[in-house]
Order: sequence, then C-alpha cells, then structure tokens
Amino acid sequence: MPCDQALRLTSIVLASASFVGLVLGASLPGWLIFLTASALLVALSRTGNVTAITSVVRLVTLSPTTWNVLVLSGFLGFWIDSLWISGDLLTSGIHFLLVLMIIKLFNLQHRRDYVHLFAISLVAILAAASLTSELWYFPIFLAYMLAGVWTLLLFQLTKDAAVPWAAIRREPEPLESNSDVTPKMFWMANGLAAATFGLTLVIFFVIPRVSAGFYQKGYGENIRTSGFSNTVDLGSIGPIKRDRSVVMRVELPDRQAHEVGRFYLRGLAFDRYDGRSWANQLSHRRSLSEDSPETFTLRGSQSHKPPPHGPALRQHIQLEPLDTPVLFAAPFAESINGRFPAIQADVTGALYLPFPSSTRIEYSAVSRSNTVAPADLQPRPTAYPELFIRHFLQMPVQSERIAALARDVAESKQTMYEKAVAIQDHLSSHYRYSLDAPLAAQAHPLEEFLFDRKTGYCEHYATAMVMMLRAIGIPARLVTGFLATEWNEYGNYYVVRQQDAHAWVEVHLPHSGWVMMDPTPADGDSPGGTLPAWHTVQSMLDSVRLRWNRFFVQYSATDQLAVMRDLQTGSASVRLRTLDSLAAFLRPLTAAFETGIDSMTNGGLPHVVKVVAILLAGCGVVAWLVWGRPWNWPRRSTGAAGDEQAIVQLYRRMLRQLERRGIRKPAAMPPLQFIRIIQAQWSAAGTAVASITELYCRARFGRVPLTREELHRAQETFHRLTSLSRS
Amino acid sequence: MLTRLRAIVQRLTYHRSTRLTSEGLQFLFFTLAVGIAAINTGNNLFYLLLSMMLSIILVSGIVAEHCLRRLEFHRHLPDLLFTNELATATLVVKNRKSRFPSFSLTLFDVCDGQDIDRGLVIRELPPGASKLLSYPLVAARRGRLRLDGVRVITSFPFGLFLKKAYYPVAGEAIICPEIKPLADEVLQDVLAAGQEHTAHRKGYGSDLYNLRLYQAGDDSRAIHWVTTARTSKLTVRETEAESQRRASIYLSPLAPDNLDTEFEEAVAYTASLVHHLAVRGYHLQLTTGSSRSSFGQGEAHLLDLLRMLALCERRAPHADMRSDTDRLMEPPDTVDSGALIVVRPWRGAEVPSAPVPVLLVDTETFLGASHAM
Repeated sequence: MPCDQALRLTSIVLASASFVGLVLGASLPGWLIFLTASALLVALSRTGNVTAITSVVRLVTLSPTTWNVLVLSGFLGFWIDSLWISGDLLTSGIHFLLVLMIIKLFNLQHRRDYVHLFAISLVAILAAASLTSELWYFPIFLAYMLAGVWTLLLFQLTKDAAVPWAAIRREPEPLESNSDVTPKMFWMANGLAAATFGLTLVIFFVIPRVSAGFYQKGYGENIRTSGFSNTVDLGSIGPIKRDRSVVMRVELPDRQAHEVGRFYLRGLAFDRYDGRSWANQLSHRRSLSEDSPETFTLRGSQSHKPPPHGPALRQHIQLEPLDTPVLFAAPFAESINGRFPAIQADVTGALYLPFPSSTRIEYSAVSRSNTVAPADLQPRPTAYPELFIRHFLQMPVQSERIAALARDVAESKQTMYEKAVAIQDHLSSHYRYSLDAPLAAQAHPLEEFLFDRKTGYCEHYATAMVMMLRAIGIPARLVTGFLATEWNEYGNYYVVRQQDAHAWVEVHLPHSGWVMMDPTPADGDSPGGTLPAWHTVQSMLDSVRLRWNRFFVQYSATDQLAVMRDLQTGSASVRLRTLDSLAAFLRPLTAAFETGIDSMTNGGLPHVVKVVAILLAGCGVVAWLVWGRPWNWPRRSTGAAGDEQAIVQLYRRMLRQLERRGIRKPAAMPPLQFIRIIQAQWSAAGTAVASITELYCRARFGRVPLTREELHRAQETFHRLTSLSRS
Repeated sequence: MLTRLRAIVQRLTYHRSTRLTSEGLQFLFFTLAVGIAAINTGNNLFYLLLSMMLSIILVSGIVAEHCLRRLEFHRHLPDLLFTNELATATLVVKNRKSRFPSFSLTLFDVCDGQDIDRGLVIRELPPGASKLLSYPLVAARRGRLRLDGVRVITSFPFGLFLKKAYYPVAGEAIICPEIKPLADEVLQDVLAAGQEHTAHRKGYGSDLYNLRLYQAGDDSRAIHWVTTARTSKLTVRETEAESQRRASIYLSPLAPDNLDTEFEEAVAYTASLVHHLAVRGYHLQLTTGSSRSSFGQGEAHLLDLLRMLALCERRAPHADMRSDTDRLMEPPDTVDSGALIVVRPWRGAEVPSAPVPVLLVDTETFLGASHAM
C-alpha cells in the first residue's frame, strides 16, 4: 500500500478509535452517531478506492468556502446546543467536535487536514477519558496509540517525499521503497508503538500525582440502590435483588481462597420499625478523627457495647459510584483508610462520606466482629438503660401475635443467646425464601409473612426476627448491607452485585455486645443455579477490570510512595544479599591472602611471591578489562574494518589464483605496477585485476570504506577472473 | 579528565541541536494542555494520555539520536573546478551501527558555518551499509572552496523535531576562473605578436645553429666530420631548437574597490587567454600579484597557471604598495620572452616597460570593446 494511502487509512482509524471512545463514554444522540459512522465509512471506502462511493463523493465535492461556512454553522450550533438544547458545555462541545470530525473526514485533502484530524481525535479521546473510567477505555486507548504512532510516522515519511528539493535530486531512490509500506516499515512502526507503550507505562507510574482527584467530575448516573437511606420501606430491597450490576469488589489480603465463604458488608443499622418501614433514629453523624494521613478511626462509636474481641479482618474495597454516601465494610469497622476529605459515623457504627461519590472510590477497612462471650451463655438478669430500651426494644402497637409466636419459639430456652438462636432457626427452617412475595402491598406485611404467606426474602426474615426478639425483651436491630457470595478465583476477591443486597439482624448480648445473626436461609440469598458457561470468561474479565481500576484509574501518590518504599526495602535486601554472595565468593581469596600475610610475618618467602603474583595478575586482568575492552571486540570486526578485511582477502585470493596461472607477484612490487605486468603478460585478465586492485588500494591505503555494491562487484569480477583461461 | 569533560560538553553543544517543527510545536502545546488538565482534575486517564504524549516525544528524541549516531562520511571533490561549470562531488555515507538502521537523513554541506542544501536525502541506511551520493557542484566564484563538514538532519520518526548532527569532513577544491571563448580579433593579434617574436636558440632540432670545438662530454654523434676534416680540429655541430612561440602574460592586480567586477572579468579573460594560448602550444609565463610563474608548456603548466589565477587577489591602489608595484614592474625573465600581454582591469595601473612588444588589454576589451597595441 502506498504511504499516502496508508496515512489516510491510519488517520481514519485514529478518528474511529476516538469516536468509539466517545460513543461508549457519552450518551450521544443517535443521528450524530449515525452521521459520524457514515462519514468514517465513506472516508474508509475512499481509501480503499471503492469506485461507486468515490464517484458519488466526487459529484458532491464542495469548495473550501462551503466547508468553512459549514464549520461556522457548526460553531453556531454548538452555542445553540449549549444554551438551549443540552444545556451543558461539555456535551455540546462533544457534539461540535464530532461535527468537525465529519467535516474533516469529507475534506481530507491537504496535509494540514491530517493535522486537524489528529488534533480533533486527540481532543475526542481526551473527552472520552473525562467521561469514563471503565475497562473498555484501555483497548480504545491502545488502538488510538497504535494508530497515532502509525499516523505520525507516515506523516513524517510522506512529508520527506513532498519537500521541494526532492525534484532536483540527482539520484532519486527507487519509488517502491519511497511510496509503499514495506514489511520492514510495518514492523518498525509496530516496534515504535510497542516502545511508546512501554515508555507510556513507565512514565504513567512515575509521573508525580499532584492532585487527589477525588472530586473529579463523573459522567452519567450513579448506580441506584435502595435500603441505604434513613428510612427504608419493608420490601424495598426486593426489586434490586434482580439487578446484576457490580456494586463493589472486595479483596481480603489476609484470607486464602479456601477460607472464603459468605461475606457480610455492613451498611446501615435501623432501630425503629413502624409496621411498614424501618427508620434510623440514631443517624446523628460525627466526623471521625484522622489518626494518620488518610486513616480514620472509630472510637466508642457503638453505644453500650464492650470492645470487639474477634480477629481483625482487613479488606480492600472498590466501591462503584452509588446514590448513597454510605461506606460498606465487614462488621464492625474499626478504621478506614482512603483518600477522603472526611468520614462520618453514626451511633450504630454506620459509616458515611460527606456526600455520595460520583466516581469509583477505593478504600481499605479493618473490622473486628464480636464473638459470643461465655458469660452470655449463662442465664443472668440484665438491666438496660432507658435510652437503649427506647431504641432497641421498640415495637409497633399491633404486634401481639408476633410476641406470642416469639414466646412459643423461645419458651424452652434459658439465655438470651439461646433464645435468639432458637428464633433464627425457627425462621430459617419454617419459612420459604422467594423474591416474588407481594408483601409490600399488604397493610401488615410482617404479620402476612409470619402467619399467612410464610414466604418472603431477607428483609422479611430480618424484620420478623428483630420484632420477635424485641417482643421477648432482647435488644435487636435490623442491618442492611450486602452479602457477598461470588468469589472471583482469578483475582481473589469478592464481586458484590446489586442482587447481593441483604438485610440481617444484630442482637445485643450484655457481655458480647452486638452479635450478628442472619435468619434468611443460606440458599435463598446465593445466586443459585448452575453458573453459565461464560462465567469463567466473565470472571477473568472482571479480574482484569479490578486491576485496571487498581493500577490505572485509582493509582495515586500514595501508591507511588508505597512502590518507592517497597523498592527501597527491596534494594536494601538485594544489596545485603549481594554483599553476602561476594563475601562467600571471595572467601578462598581472602583466606589465601591471610595465609600469605601470615607466611610473610613468619618469613616464608615463597608464599609472599605467590600472593604478589596473584595480586599482579588481578591488576593485569583489571587493566586488560579497562583498556582492552574485550566486549567491543566482536564489533571491531564489523563495519569499515570488516569491509577492508573482505577486500584484502579477495585480493590475496586473486594473487593466489594468478600464481596458479603462472604469474607471481614479487613481495616488493607495488600493486599498481603488478597490474602493468598482468596487462603485458595476460591482457585478458588485465581489466579484472585492475578493478580489484583499485578497490583494494582504496580500502587499504586510502581508508575509504567500500559500499556493498562495490564489494559485490569485486567478487563478481574475481569469479569472472577465475573462469578465464590463460593461453 | 577536565579537558575530556569540556570536550564532551563542547561536542554536545556544537555537534547536536534540536529544533521544533511546526507540527512539533502543536504537539507540545497539546501535551501541555493535557498536562494541565491532568493536574487540575487528577483524572488518571488524563495522566495516561499525558504519558503517551510524553513517551512519543521521548521516543522521538531517542530514535532520532540513534539515526544520527555513528555515521561515517567520506567526501570526494574534483581537484580543480571552474566557475559556473558543472562538476560532480561525491559523498560516501556509512552507517557504522551494528544493529540500528538510520532513516530519513537529509545532508547539508557546511561551509563557513553555513548549511548548504545539496538535495541529499537518504531514506534508509541499514546497519553496516554505506551509500554513495553524488551531487552537482557549481561554484559561483573563483578561489579556494573549503567545506568544513556535513550536517545531518532528521525529523524521524514522528516529524516533531528536527535533530541535527555535525560531522567534520573537510574538503577543499580550487575554483578556477571561467574559460570563455575569446574574440577572433584579439586572438589573431596575440598570435601574430607571438609569431613575430619567435626566439632563435640552440636546442633539439634539425637546422644548424652553430659549430664549435668538441668538449669532453659532448655527444660523439654530433661531431661535424666535414669541418673536422677541413680544420683538423674535432668540431661538433649545434642545432637550433624547433620554433618556440612564447608569451608572457601580466595581470595587473591593482583595481579600486568599486572595480571588483571588472577585476574578476580581467581574471576570467586572462584565464581564457592562457587556456587558448596553451592549447596552441605556447610557452607561457604568468605574472599576477606578487607571484610569477616560470615559462612552461603542457597541461600541467596550464593547470598551475589556472591555479594562480584562481587564487590571485585584487589590490586597492595606495601608497604603501610601492615595493610590490616595483616588483610587478620588473620585465619578464628574458629578453626573448615573446610578446608581453598586459591585462589591466583599471586604467590607472601602470604598464610595465619591456624590450618586447606589449599587447595591452584594457577593461573595454574583456567587457566587449577593443584593445590597444
């Protein structure tokens, strides 16, 4: 393919990459997508010399003035769009950008048009970067970079061909090498692209991050979720439990793959139930103190509870942009580490950002769950403060039947813990899990669940358990969050989806504090069924997505510092190991040296000589390495010296050949004089000998390097000489 | 060590330079804009784009540097060139790198610090390969042409920067004045003057020049036996040299500053005269400025005279030039020097007095008018 045609093609590919980026990132109007795609296809078919399209386009060729008028119209349209239609400068700017791209694609004639198209596509890919942080951007970026490198390279090569003095060149190079994209050029361009990509990665990870980037503008809507506001209607989680959107990804650095199981991510806790909805009356938030940079610690956040005594659990969480400011972590979070301006917490231990994030956020949490203390396994009377009773033993008025049921279930149990477990077991064994239960429409959904339909989902189970516990005087609260069950074995993390939204119960035990219990049957909340065949691919893709988010989207100055610290630590250990190895390697030498010194002091002269000899030899080797540079030897044999050697060898072969034919060159005779002897004695060989001798003299004595063609010519001459017969 | 360091710094600053192209300027502007956007928003994808653009700039520099490194040049110029006459110069370029080829090289001759474009472009030079480039060389002025080196420029790979490297490759050639056809009238006069003053001298020939007594060392074949027999004294005959046409040409270097063009015309005229007379077998002597050649004949002598003319310089007439002028006023070597042709670019210059006919060629002659005898 000719270079100019290739330039056109790569320019269109470049524009296409940025266009696809915009289409995927922004919600563009259909007509604009259609128009741009058509322009790209037409431009592409013109490159491929599709006759029909080319002739049609020729028919509608517009003058430069018309194109300028079109650009001005587009600019006017941009203002109209930004003021009255879309009302957003970025959106209307993107629309205008695509209009410019369309105009340029139809008008791709001069070199400056290619520069303009390059600039337009650059702005477009930049706009796409501002609109998304999804994984698809990466392949688009790679395609853009590859096409960009090709375009720049071809632009430069075709520019060289277009310089004015090319016309006066006396020896133009063959056209094929100038105008066609050769295989060598193909690999060179791809090699350059690969080198550019490698350097891009290095620069990306090294370039200092000066901005936190937390408040960068997101584009598009946050994921709508429910169950995470201060008031939640019973049954509101049901609809989102069919949504497979990923809400977050959770890594557990201290936990192995075989240890993972159901994993709870706590969101909000609710204390007040009015028969139809839950409310959090303890939602007063206070800001958490920042102990160290970006680390927020909870202290005494949960009322009336002893300190948690379970094992600490670390989590790395990537949270998608949600429409709630709630932060999720395993119960009960002790500290949060992340690039947040502030974190707030309420009395129930729920964590909040100051406002919902419009972009994906990443943070780490350390949690510690409560285990049941042995004291709580003994029946002991407990007295709770009035405030505590008002919040966590509150019940709606119409719950007599529920209280009776609770008493029946827990009648035989002695301790609070046993009673709670009995109620939990009762609910999970006597009720059926179903997302199709239309309980939200009922006047008394809880009674309907417990006594009539006996079918429901997590919210109903949890609400029923809380009400039953409270009916028998055990403080409890409802907690909403997520129950992660999908483990990505490729990335070793939990994928948490909307459908994993869950509600469970926290029971307060006097000596253990808040203990988590879940009455919902285990199989009810798992995704269930056999996994589809493409699940593996999906898992792998999701794992790549996590890495993309971790290493590219969320990469920060903190990560850079961490990498530097790791490198420092690594280099220190490497240095120590190297010194150790060197010491081990030199041990025999040092031992010999010590022996020599001992012998010297004891008067043993031969040992001294040995030591001095070894030292001298070592110095000699070092000097040889420094001045001799043996690593350069292979190179010395190449290049001009190589050419000289080749022609000298050829000359010697020629002399041997002539000697065989009876003409011997005396050692003292100069080469040029020998030519005259040959011409006198064997005239047929005169020209060939003169030609080789001339090249020999030039390379050997004139120090003028020979070209490959000359060497080749000399060899051919020599073969001709050998084929001659001397009469 | 310090000297070496200084040499490295000098080499780096003198032998390498980089200039932005217009496309490069635009690219840099966009890079700056993306950088500001990245810093402002903290968007890592902006940083990714910024890194890509920076790496393109970096790759541009590295690859261009590799293209310009380890090149070897050999120049060949003709020994003698004539003003306004096309000649061919050659330049051998060799890529001494063992692995990397060089691309898109544009070569310039460097003369007095100026880059002279010869239209030399090498699209690709594989590792270890060499290329012979020839180009037309037309010198506009006579004198000494000195080429200091070769400037290699590449905008490879992305056309964002023009990277230049300088390789010192000295070359020198003498540019002779232009040889022009002379007017027949002038030539006839010169030839006639030369003919009339043919010198008679002993030498190789057939005609008798003289008879004298034999001296030790004389060729026995030259013994004139008739006279020897008649006089009883060993006598040898001397022959007269074949007819030798001789001319002495004097180019006056004196001319005021405003007559530089006339002086150059006078030099060109003298060169043409020398050439025409030499072709006709004349023995010629040339005097110009403070230099004077011997009488001579043949191609080598002609080239020597042309070289003299190539390097002669105009002198402004003023008082302190007296001694020089005196020397210039000296008559030619011998009395039998044939005609003396005086080429005078300025009428104020004195004409040397000589015991031979003087043919005076003034400005009007070589500018198209007549001459005086």
